[in-house]
Amino acid sequence: MTVATLAFIDKRSLRPGRGSALLGAVLLVLGWEVLARMLADAFVLAAPSEVLTAIVENRTLLMRALAVTLANGAAGFALGNLAAIALAGIALAFPRSQSIITGLALTVFCLPLVATGPILRVLFGPGPWPQIVLAALAVYYTTLVLLLVGLRATPSSWIDLMRSYGRGSFSTLVHVRAMASLPYLFAGLQIAAPAAFLGAMVGEFTGAERGMGVLTIRAMRDLDVDMTWALATVATAVAIAAYLAIGWVARRVLVADPPVILSPPRPPGWRGGGWHAPINVAVVAVAAVIAWWAALALSGLNPFFAKGPDDVFHALFLADNAGRTRAMLASAMWETAAFLLPGYLAGLLAGAGLAIVVVLFPMLAGAAMPAAIALRSVPIVTTAPLVVLILGRGAIGTIALVALMVFFPTFVACLHGLRQAPGQVLDVMDSYAAGPFQRLLRARLPAMLPAFFAAARMAVPASVLAVTVVEWLATGNGVGSLMALSASLSDYNMLWSAVVLVAALSALGYGGVGLVEARVLRIYAPEQLA
Amino acid sequence: MDRTGLSRRMVLGMGAAGFVTALPIFSIRSAWAQSQVALQLSWLHSVQFAGSYIALDRGFWSEAGLDVSLLPGGPNAPVEPPVVSGSALVGISAADYTAAAVEQGARFKILAVAMQKNPFVIASLPGNPVNVPGDLEGKRIGMALANTPVLQALSTLNDVDFDAIEIVPTQYSAQPLLSGEVDCLLCWETDLPVAMAIQGVDSVTMLMADHGYALHSQTYIATEESIANRRAELVALLRGEAQGWEAYREDTKAAAALTLEMYPDAGLDLRTQELQAERQVPLMFSELTDANGFGWWTDETVAANIETLALLGRTVTPDLWDRSILEEVHAG
Repeated sequence: MTVATLAFIDKRSLRPGRGSALLGAVLLVLGWEVLARMLADAFVLAAPSEVLTAIVENRTLLMRALAVTLANGAAGFALGNLAAIALAGIALAFPRSQSIITGLALTVFCLPLVATGPILRVLFGPGPWPQIVLAALAVYYTTLVLLLVGLRATPSSWIDLMRSYGRGSFSTLVHVRAMASLPYLFAGLQIAAPAAFLGAMVGEFTGAERGMGVLTIRAMRDLDVDMTWALATVATAVAIAAYLAIGWVARRVLVADPPVILSPPRPPGWRGGGWHAPINVAVVAVAAVIAWWAALALSGLNPFFAKGPDDVFHALFLADNAGRTRAMLASAMWETAAFLLPGYLAGLLAGAGLAIVVVLFPMLAGAAMPAAIALRSVPIVTTAPLVVLILGRGAIGTIALVALMVFFPTFVACLHGLRQAPGQVLDVMDSYAAGPFQRLLRARLPAMLPAFFAAARMAVPASVLAVTVVEWLATGNGVGSLMALSASLSDYNMLWSAVVLVAALSALGYGGVGLVEARVLRIYAPEQLA
Repeated sequence: MDRTGLSRRMVLGMGAAGFVTALPIFSIRSAWAQSQVALQLSWLHSVQFAGSYIALDRGFWSEAGLDVSLLPGGPNAPVEPPVVSGSALVGISAADYTAAAVEQGARFKILAVAMQKNPFVIASLPGNPVNVPGDLEGKRIGMALANTPVLQALSTLNDVDFDAIEIVPTQYSAQPLLSGEVDCLLCWETDLPVAMAIQGVDSVTMLMADHGYALHSQTYIATEESIANRRAELVALLRGEAQGWEAYREDTKAAAALTLEMYPDAGLDLRTQELQAERQVPLMFSELTDANGFGWWTDETVAANIETLALLGRTVTPDLWDRSILEEVHAG
């Protein structure tokens, strides 16, 4: 159930009563207006009234741009999720391949946009395909992970029942596993919707004629603060609408909550499975290098900018200036880590902390949820410069932005986890007159751990994306800026070396969180280690 | 199980519908008997490339048998890859970027120079102006860290104490200057100062090209293979550019209006574009171009460029420039 806890956010946490949700929205807009008035002369923040005026004045332009970006985002959404379904199918059909498939999928997911964008543009030429592919790349991984969990979230008694009727594994897949995975699929789709829109917007940075991304760059350059915020508002509204619409469809389609699955504890000698083991890391690394090489050979890209594993190895270890390249990479990575790690941890703590506060004081849920969804749905390409404008170019702005990207999924997952505490356990504590803090400490927090770790894992690539985009678009330091700079100076050996390093480190970070997770859950929730 | 079937169909149907409606509609080019070439621009569509729009609009290229597509750039769209891989015949770059690419093994030549004067300026506010490079000492300058060599070169050229300038890394926006976080900005003459002027803020700009910073900008680059094998197309393409930019110079307001008409989705503001178009003229046209034609350069200007490039850490030789195409353009 780990990752899948994200699946049920809508059902419970999003409907705490319309009154308090409305209150939350009103507070959000009021806070915004006050802040804008305070910063009136700084060319930073437009008040809601000014934003509304900008939207009305530019409505036809905005509609056309939105139609383009939305169409590309939707195509990428469809392609990415279909790819995820296909990959999940292959992984299920050939269980031994699963760790390689998820490992490769994770590695591709961790490739920085700064590097993939221009290559897609050269591959596809003018037109919408780079935008579509970037949108697909932004969504397929979360859906794949959730689907794989969902396809296994089947009580063994159901499968036994199929067997006792003499049905094979294909029928089991169609009638039992596919159905069991639907809630997870919808959770994946819900997470994917804003991500696809963001991917399509970033894709426009690779040279598009129209779209929301194009208008965003233009507005920021022209110091058109009202329009910048109008674009961010429209993009956010669309992302929230997609999120809610998928939630609505999910409630229509899904008839029941997923079944409670009880697994026996693992034997003590059992170690975390799948891709956590070092041997799997090695296999995935080899597979990634082979896939990289094959992709270059098949695509016939010009070696001037399409560097292979051998080029990167040469640049990092054999070339005359290899020492300098390594030193530059190391200092950039170090700079980035100084933003990334505090932001990541702050986001995790803030998400889990707010979830705990909301459980202790349920009245707050309605006020907190709209703000949380809005913050999560604003495309980072528009928020990055704005957050940096408000919080400054120092470390705080970047750290805050990373924390923001990590905060929401953690909050939602933890909230769900805290509410997962079995009713019987809470009843027992009630009958012993245990106070709310005792119940939190002894019942709810252990129940939250699987969800917390699922969020912590998914947050690794998300925070890397956040920090590199902020460095690239706003602050101009660290590895995000190094990648952008080496692309503009045609130093493609440096660019590809940075890409390899970023992708490998994000994948390892993900695996590292998985190791901690396996250790903790072996004690608190052994049934999660299926 | 009825419910099951329904939900599955719904899911599949939704996916299919989403996919079909989302598929972009490709415009199908009619089959011209013209040769198709692409010009890779260095930024999003704007009046910065209006000469090309005029060439397209008035048929300067189609008359010469050329079907030109103008490919927009963007923040994540380096010019060199499409030119190297042949998806664009010509790209719009700048001498320093081209020199860096050649250092990395690309076989580029600079064919023509649209911006005779480099557009980099130091922009400041009238109350605390930077009028000459010496004024930079003791000031806080907002710029991308990537441009540090540019500021170093300017300091060296003008005997300014580089260490006395405080660099504040900023994104490319006039906002830090207006909010007082910095005293001046390193930017282009044609963008941030224009944005400030449109917002009603007067600014002082010091053109770096007036203080020894000689670096050709908005240069037309092509590969040696193209120069050898696609000469006629290159000549026709650059001839259309020259004609387009001459027409631009005659009426910059019309050029701005045409830009908005051709690219209504670019989110451009007419007044901003008009002002930008006007400010671009002195950078693009000089006595040199009046005498020899659009895009021209001489051995002297190339020598000055090589000197500036050396300050930027790039070693180049005069054969990075190839004037043979331009000579053909202006000969006939």
